[in-house]
Amino acid sequence: MEFNIDGPKQDEDTLRRVQVRFVTKLKAPLKVPNTSIAIPSNLTRFGLSSVVNNLLQSVNPEWKSEPFDFLINGELVRMSLEQFLLAKGISAEKVLEIEYIKAVVPQKEEEPCLHDDWVSAVDGSSPGFILTGSYDSLGRVWKAAGLCTHILEGHSGAVSSISFLKSDGMKNVTVATASKDQTLRLWKLDVEELISNPKKIRAYKILCGHKASVQSIAAHASGDMICSGSWDCTLNLWRTNESGGEGDQVSTKKRKVNNQANESQLEGEAVSTLVGHTQCVSSVVWPQHETIYSASWDHSVRRWDVETGKDVSDIFCGKVLNCIDVGGEGSALIAAGGSDPILRIWDPRTSAPVFQFASHSSWISACKWHDNSWFHLISASYDGKVMLWDLRTAWPLAVIDSHKDKVLCADWWRSDSVISGGVDSKLCISSGISTQ
Amino acid sequence: MREGKKVSVEVSSKKNSNNEKNKKNQTKNNNNNNDNNKNNETKKKESQNLVKKTNKSGRSVQSQNEASLKSEEVEQQQLSATDSDSDYQDFSEDDVSENESLTQSEDGESESSGDEVHGTGDDMNNDNDDGPADQSDGSQSQRGVEESDSSEDEVAPRNTIGDVPLEWYKDEKHIGYDIAGKKITKKERQDKLASFLASVDDSKNWRKIYDEYNDEEVELTKEETRIIRRLLKGKAPHADYDPYADYVDWFKYEDSLHPLSNAPEPKRRFIPSKWESKKVLQYVRAIRKGLIKFDEPKEEEPRFYLLWGDDSSTAEKANRLSYIPAPKSKLPGHEESYNPSLEYIPTQEEVNSYQLMYEEDRPKFIPKRFTSFRSIPSYENAVKDSFERCMDLYLCPRVRKKRINIDPETLRPKLPSRKDLKPYPATCYLEYIGHKGAVMSISTEASGQWIASGSTDGTVRIWEVESGRCLRVWEIGESVQCVAWNPSPEHPVLAVSAGQDVIILNTGFGNEEEQKRVEELLQVENPTAPDDSDNMASIVSWLQDERLGGIRLRHFKTVTSVEWHRRGDYLSTVMPADILFSVYLIFIVFVYSFLFMVESPTFRAIVMHQLSKKLSHRIPFKLHGLPVSSVFHPTRSIFFVSTKKNIRVYDLLKQKLIKKLETGLREVSSIAIHPAGDNVIVGSREGKLCWFDMDLSSKPYRILKCHPKDITNVAFHRSYPLFASCSDDCTAYVFHGMVYSDLNQNPLIVPLEILRGHTSSNGRGVMDCKFHPRQPWLFTAGADSTIKLYCH
Repeated sequence: MEFNIDGPKQDEDTLRRVQVRFVTKLKAPLKVPNTSIAIPSNLTRFGLSSVVNNLLQSVNPEWKSEPFDFLINGELVRMSLEQFLLAKGISAEKVLEIEYIKAVVPQKEEEPCLHDDWVSAVDGSSPGFILTGSYDSLGRVWKAAGLCTHILEGHSGAVSSISFLKSDGMKNVTVATASKDQTLRLWKLDVEELISNPKKIRAYKILCGHKASVQSIAAHASGDMICSGSWDCTLNLWRTNESGGEGDQVSTKKRKVNNQANESQLEGEAVSTLVGHTQCVSSVVWPQHETIYSASWDHSVRRWDVETGKDVSDIFCGKVLNCIDVGGEGSALIAAGGSDPILRIWDPRTSAPVFQFASHSSWISACKWHDNSWFHLISASYDGKVMLWDLRTAWPLAVIDSHKDKVLCADWWRSDSVISGGVDSKLCISSGISTQ
Repeated sequence: MREGKKVSVEVSSKKNSNNEKNKKNQTKNNNNNNDNNKNNETKKKESQNLVKKTNKSGRSVQSQNEASLKSEEVEQQQLSATDSDSDYQDFSEDDVSENESLTQSEDGESESSGDEVHGTGDDMNNDNDDGPADQSDGSQSQRGVEESDSSEDEVAPRNTIGDVPLEWYKDEKHIGYDIAGKKITKKERQDKLASFLASVDDSKNWRKIYDEYNDEEVELTKEETRIIRRLLKGKAPHADYDPYADYVDWFKYEDSLHPLSNAPEPKRRFIPSKWESKKVLQYVRAIRKGLIKFDEPKEEEPRFYLLWGDDSSTAEKANRLSYIPAPKSKLPGHEESYNPSLEYIPTQEEVNSYQLMYEEDRPKFIPKRFTSFRSIPSYENAVKDSFERCMDLYLCPRVRKKRINIDPETLRPKLPSRKDLKPYPATCYLEYIGHKGAVMSISTEASGQWIASGSTDGTVRIWEVESGRCLRVWEIGESVQCVAWNPSPEHPVLAVSAGQDVIILNTGFGNEEEQKRVEELLQVENPTAPDDSDNMASIVSWLQDERLGGIRLRHFKTVTSVEWHRRGDYLSTVMPADILFSVYLIFIVFVYSFLFMVESPTFRAIVMHQLSKKLSHRIPFKLHGLPVSSVFHPTRSIFFVSTKKNIRVYDLLKQKLIKKLETGLREVSSIAIHPAGDNVIVGSREGKLCWFDMDLSSKPYRILKCHPKDITNVAFHRSYPLFASCSDDCTAYVFHGMVYSDLNQNPLIVPLEILRGHTSSNGRGVMDCKFHPRQPWLFTAGADSTIKLYCH
């Protein structure tokens, strides 16, 4: 069974042919007959994809072609088959098993959500809405593209980080924001209600205690606790529940200082402080119940035990770190980027990075693992690009180039979209990314 | 036998007239040959004995005789006939026989040939001589006569072809010619078998030898073989000759009994010499006077020297002009021939391509073909040219170049690799864009979160380092010369110099308590409060600036530089106006009590201010020259003032000059102090950077000539061993400057990186550079209105 792929008709004798068999873990309509076929070895990913599409079409005449990605021995093919086999030292004598998966690329560029100022923080952990924070010191809630439902008002400095905490259905949603005015604020909102104009909301609780700009917050899985990292080199842990005897007392004490308008607001103090970093704590994540990871400008990534408040281990990087995320296989890999164009991924058990992705050309401002896929993560950089990475190849799967200036933040949304905000005051949404 | 002898005598007498007969005789006598030979030998012995006896007397006669032999043949014959002459005749014969024996020994090849030679020799030379000899023999003794007779017989029919290859006669019927010129025909050769059989039968066969020359067989006598044997053993040919005869001493060496003179010993032998005593006296005096010294051992000439040693060194010692040969030019090759073969001649394309080459690479000589040597253009002048060339070679003064063989690598200081000195700023990742004019100055906040910048567009901006966001803008209205963050984190205020004013701005950072404190601090109750001394008021006036929310310090001259003390307690400003300038110290929380009022016109310019009391004071130091910049010591109460030529270091507590650093530069532009405080770097307008180690010397420890244009600023990193300089050539240089705590170790300075990226604007390049306080990053402010951040 042979296929002639459209393209420049080369001399058949000069073309080397490879015996391949296409296998997949995809479901029925995407399965091809499990027979080995001979294909020219100079085929690239595009050629392979059209072979598979042809095969599918031969089974199902109504099949619409779709891009595929191909794995050989667990690595994505990113050059011609011949070069790949040469580079990896794989024998072309045997029947080659090529696994194909759906190509992970953004299919569609949604309408950008326009802000008044730089978009500095974004959170897409809730499928119903997108949270953004901006340098105009406002937080915003977006439902789908271009539809802003709520404006979180109250900070006096740029919102540096925003995080969805918990929700009881769609009605009662709790959100936390961190700002450069050294405070964190907690907000409650009802996303369900339909309103034409964005509704302005005030925070129900202000968390004071940091002595410098708060750079990052991370919520505990339950949403009851949040952790924040700040320029004062500390991490603070806060409780988010409304009723706290201590909190109320503090708030009454502080109320004298505060403006009259804040009267209804509660104030809270940190439950505990994690001290150890020597410079600005730029990013925190709280992936498991008792473990917090933090990245800092002192070039280290630290793992904190929440119970004892001590740092359990640290990874030294050598560069200033701006972002960190934990994910991958078994949620065990640490991805971090910073003051150089290299996105590094560590296995916490080893000190040297296990992966280094270096396609960016400037600082990396954000990195996020995909929720479900072990292999996929995104990174945003000051070079204006958001890149989609697969651990199985050193090249980016896709480069989202919709921003015109620095990208400051990026996140996954609904598992199939990448949202990113930047200096061009836009929140860009690239959707249609299926990672199975 | 006797008969034969007689006959021979007769024959020989006859023969003198007729040689032909001799041959015949010989053939006749051949039968007697053997006997003759024997006789001959015995005769020789006798004759030898004779020789010894008559040696002295006979020699001359014999030689005479021999010389006259040929001419006086007849005479001799007659003489030889007489007995009286027989003695010497015999000798002469004997001499010949001796010769014969010698030739025999020399020949060695064949015993028979020797015999022949003897014969031929007779033939050739002494044909006639034989006759008389024989006769004499005959007269003396029978045997001798016989012998000579036989020899004569042998001699007669000899071959006369001479010493020519015998092959010439190989194919002829004859073997040669006899003395008469007749052919000697070859004998019939026996066939091999017959000859062999004959030889086997013959017991004397081993003595027989075939003479090719005369084509005959010769048989050696016993005597002859004996001689040959002796010669083979290396002995004298004749057994009776003793080579080791005893020496006979002719003189006696006995002592003579009587001396030549018998005179008694003269008196003078016993009288001491006057001359000697004089000489001794002279020496003694000389020694006393010290003219002769015994201490100095004489320099011993080396007794041994290298006979075959190299002469060159001695020639150099002689200090004579040594001949320097002209350098050898390359020998001409085929291509330089007047008529080179075709492959050497370049094509027209190649010739054209030479034109495209660089001057140095172009071949000097292009081969060309000429029909003849004369048609070469230089042929006309060939003689003159070669003459001039010779003159050149002869007259050209030549000097032997003494080249010191130094590997340039060894001269280079051994600096560590750049890779080992990481981290240092290398790549620009962030830019801070927003200013409209050249950014004159930047300053980093203590934590490194923000930077402030002042520009000629009259604005002061604060930027967020991590994002490049401009957070605040103040419109000052005048071109801003210098900005400086207060180093104290409790007082987030900014000092800005613009024109004649220094404005202290409240940045608005920090929490509310800090803000309150700052606002209180920046309140001027009495806006025009003068200092207690009258002239102070005219220099500085304190004003509240409502619009900007700060204090405006109005000076009487343009302020160029503002410098805070490390605690944020006070700052210095520099006004490099004509002769007058001031360095003002503004004390906010004044810990040191160094408020001095030194009233003197020369000190008028030096003032200090106390901000908490809103007071200004002079600094009681006299300055020589125009000040350029001033810096506080990072840890001690020491104050650095740089004038255009020198750096002066003052102790503020003791109020005196500690040190004067001589830069040797034309014009100092900037100064920075190492965080440890013992090292100073100074940038100059001619692009030189001086590093002073103050513990070492008041002269620069290192001068780095790196920038082609003015250095605008220099900076040290607070914690990393880095320093940087920026210049109007749009670059900033980053150096590794490690200062060791060990005083014995000099600072290590390694150039690391040239940071480019800024563009020139109005001839200005990079105006300012500052390190990030905590990261190995460098901020540079460019005249192109951008600020760049270089990260590691």
